[in-house]
Amino acid sequence: MIDIRDVIIEYGRGARAVLAVDGISLRVEPGESLALIGPSGCGKTTLLFSVAGLVRPRNGGIEVGGENVTGPRREIALILQNAGLLPWKTVWQNANLSLLLSKEYPRKTAASVLEELGLAGVKGRFPVELSEGMKRRVGIARALSMSPSVMLMDEPLASLDTLTKERIQDLFLQLWRDRAFSLVLVTHDIEEAAFLGQRIAVLTERPARVKRTVENPGVGDLHYRETAEFAGIVGQLREALEG
Amino acid sequence: MSGKRASRQWLKSLQDRPYVWHIFRYVLAIAVLLLVWWAASEIVEHVKGRAFLPNPLRAIAEMRRLGPTLFRNFWVSAWRLVTAMLIAFSLGYPLGLLIGHERRLDQLISPMIYIIYPIPQVAFILILFLIFGLGNPVKVAIVASALFFQILVSARGAAKQIELEHITSVLAAGASRWQVYWHVVLPATLPSILTSLRVSVGLGMAFLYIAETTGAFDPRRGGLGSFIDSNIYSGAQAFAGIMAMALLGLALYILIELIERIVCRWKHVSRRSS
Repeated sequence: MIDIRDVIIEYGRGARAVLAVDGISLRVEPGESLALIGPSGCGKTTLLFSVAGLVRPRNGGIEVGGENVTGPRREIALILQNAGLLPWKTVWQNANLSLLLSKEYPRKTAASVLEELGLAGVKGRFPVELSEGMKRRVGIARALSMSPSVMLMDEPLASLDTLTKERIQDLFLQLWRDRAFSLVLVTHDIEEAAFLGQRIAVLTERPARVKRTVENPGVGDLHYRETAEFAGIVGQLREALEG
Repeated sequence: MSGKRASRQWLKSLQDRPYVWHIFRYVLAIAVLLLVWWAASEIVEHVKGRAFLPNPLRAIAEMRRLGPTLFRNFWVSAWRLVTAMLIAFSLGYPLGLLIGHERRLDQLISPMIYIIYPIPQVAFILILFLIFGLGNPVKVAIVASALFFQILVSARGAAKQIELEHITSVLAAGASRWQVYWHVVLPATLPSILTSLRVSVGLGMAFLYIAETTGAFDPRRGGLGSFIDSNIYSGAQAFAGIMAMALLGLALYILIELIERIVCRWKHVSRRSS
């Protein structure tokens, strides 16, 4: 479970301090998915980074699995905007980065994750040799390598073409259903939020506050995009963002 | 026509084999330079009435005649230059990365560096001679002190340009401070540092020449600089030394190129795939 309580995050100090997040409280139950949507630069990524333990809030607290988050943890995986792959490491090294850092020998699970994501044949390649879609898959493989209970995604599919984007959204959905991790997705893509977030928090311009929360119980079906319910949620989100 | 086509095919078959093509280009470059040199020496002789600029054939003949002496001096210079480069690299690189990556350290140290950096190190040459005395250490110190700043400044610049995303991704994966250096800062800056080392070859060579020709009374000075200096009035011999210097530079460039192909393999893969 993720418990975010009255979190206030500031960048910089003293007179030059900039308020990025202003008193947000949210809860995500185990196996639940939450999407955070808001205008660019509103502070949603900052909030996500604080859950990942990369940014410390000025006020309030964040608990994951009943423990305060004070730094990065094994059970919390983060997928970054451009997959965050290191150009000088091969697909295999990138996918097993967390294991390499903790000096553990890459386990069989890592190999099976690569296989599952269709990357077994490109293990020895460097990121620059891969298509954008494949790079995102390597990012996913890295996140899955530690079998996390919490998956955080920061605009994971930005700048992808529509078809590749939808294919990877389907993959996210399947992985989330199969592995039952808690998912927090930061996006500015309304349809992505509606397809993956059981609950969608619409955030204000900076400093980020929760403007409105939209319940989206239909999430979980690969054909959800074609339903009237989905179109309704998209309409509600658009209205909330514009209003 | 068919001759033209045949030569085009021959050129293409060379280009298909990258290493052969690489060597071919260097051989061609040497041939062109020798030709230009030969033409220049002819022109000078014609205009001035005397062969001030010896022609390349005479210089090559001198190189062969002076073989063992030249070879000994070549190794002395090579040893000095490589030692100086290694010292400058092993001090300047880590320090440059540290101040480029740690903001507080940067604020503290960078002003000092930018005050000292523009001063030509040659200005300290007398002091260095007084501190280190005659012999090898002073020559290595002169070259190393010049290259140190060159490498330091480019390492700092390269460390500042590291993409934040790469650092965030290893931090999120649980990296310690030193792991960030090992897995991101070091590999991300290697390509620019190797470029800086290439620049250092030329700069180092110039400083080595100054170091080897200063202190005419030094009986142990040796090296290609001192060889050229003591044969400065017998043109062909001096030019044999100059050619040996060019070969030393070329050998170092090739060495750095090979190192780059090994340690920055990902860069060359990208070139191939694009």
